[in-house]
Amino acid sequence: MRRRDFLKAGAGAAAATLAGCASAPGAAARARVVVVGGGYGGATAARYIRRLDPAIEVVLVEPNEAFVSCPISNMVLGGFKSMADITVPYAGLAAHGVRVVRDTATAVDPQAKQVRLAGGDTLAYDRAIVSPGVDFMWEALPGMARAEAQTTVLHAWKAGPQTQMLRRQLEAMPDGGVFVLSIPEAPYRCPPGPYERACQVAAYFKAAKPRSKVLLLDANGDVISKGALFKKAWSEIYRDIIEYRPNSKAVDVDAAARVVKLEFGDVKGDVLNVLPPMKAGSVAAAFITVNRRWCEVDWITYESKAAPGVHVLGDSLQIAPLMPKSATMANGHGKVCAAAVVALLNGQPPNPSPTLINTCYSMVSDKLAIHVSTVHKYDQKDRTMKTVPGSGGLSAGMNELEGAYAMSWAKNIWEDALA
Amino acid sequence: MKQRAFAALAAAWAALAAAQQPAAPPPPPSFAAPNLTPAGVRAMAANCAPCHGTDGRPAAGSSVAPLAGQAREAIVEKMNGFKEGKREATLMHQIARGFGDAEIAALADYFSHQRR
Repeated sequence: MRRRDFLKAGAGAAAATLAGCASAPGAAARARVVVVGGGYGGATAARYIRRLDPAIEVVLVEPNEAFVSCPISNMVLGGFKSMADITVPYAGLAAHGVRVVRDTATAVDPQAKQVRLAGGDTLAYDRAIVSPGVDFMWEALPGMARAEAQTTVLHAWKAGPQTQMLRRQLEAMPDGGVFVLSIPEAPYRCPPGPYERACQVAAYFKAAKPRSKVLLLDANGDVISKGALFKKAWSEIYRDIIEYRPNSKAVDVDAAARVVKLEFGDVKGDVLNVLPPMKAGSVAAAFITVNRRWCEVDWITYESKAAPGVHVLGDSLQIAPLMPKSATMANGHGKVCAAAVVALLNGQPPNPSPTLINTCYSMVSDKLAIHVSTVHKYDQKDRTMKTVPGSGGLSAGMNELEGAYAMSWAKNIWEDALA
Repeated sequence: MKQRAFAALAAAWAALAAAQQPAAPPPPPSFAAPNLTPAGVRAMAANCAPCHGTDGRPAAGSSVAPLAGQAREAIVEKMNGFKEGKREATLMHQIARGFGDAEIAALADYFSHQRR
């Protein structure tokens, strides 16, 4: 109760200073930004706001004790990395003066300019940044609605306890078993992720359970990212281990029988890993504007098209053309948004020509990687981000140098978001 | 009657011909002019951080080249080498082609002024 009173008092003070800011730009106003979600988008935005303008108070709301990276988490399944290797504490953000509140944001109220927390508190804001990642559309797979189904058939598409649990399921699976990975229709978080996961699990099987198989059931008509590169890895490294079936959309799951039901026929496996269709994280539900799934924003400020003063980042966004739902993109969104929010709170115009670079590595073994890269700039006429003609591309082939660069990428982006 | 039939046939023929035409290339993008103000360059340079570290200072144990504190001319030369395909790269040739001469010069200047 005492803490709640304190937070409310803080909120009132912030609201009072906003008025001062509006009437006298540059005055010693202390505006407050509340960031919802400490993933690649939210953590980066929080850190960069403090770097750009230490006068702004930043509160980050995040339920998890530490950041656990989705990128590299497939290597935990492969047995090449541990959970500790992909976990980064939030202490670095606190050292930048970000107040990290360990709670779950349940709603963002653009009228009251408040974020409501599951613990009962409310946080007032001058601007809110919402970066909640994805939620799963379990309704697309009725058998998964039961809680016990969700503890036996895992997604492991949010790195954390499920990553470790899926690794244990793979370890417990007898040699000769079949690992079935069901991929939803695009768009979903991390387009190449499922194909990388197939490589990592296959690498584990090749070394430890050579009679086992990886069966990919893809709702899409073909591999949707780095297709030729992945297929080469599958045929050259994992020839008799990985089987790929396109146009194989899961319509239901019988968790007890370990069966994925497709539009035509059932597929039984020993370990099922089902990625349901995805949509914007639930706290952003009020800001969804496309297909009841994704949030549209102004690409200069990342301000929601549904609510003034609320900015949305990362995998919750309705993507611009050729923009993947990737960690590097969310990190880039976080920095463009941070600079825009700092400008707006200081009465300055935001950068009218933002640039984004995406670099996305996939580990096809313990050491070999492949990449896709793109450069995106703001198109004034269509008011969206577009790739620069002639830029971007794919790896010439899988190679160890890019494997080393991929590991460096992880170290550098974790520091850039969280150090 | 005959005329109407002919008109319908002509319309069908025109539709078929249109369908067989190769799709027109998308119009070139209308990119906003690069923002070369200090804040604009800083924002552009922030895109290099996921691989090269915040402000071009790589994390401990990173095998990617640092950018902070490198000579301005050296960065420009490398970027142009990547762009022209004269310098070996895994992906930098693909990234460099996304930036014009003025942007590369401004980025090089920015990184040359960052402490190592």
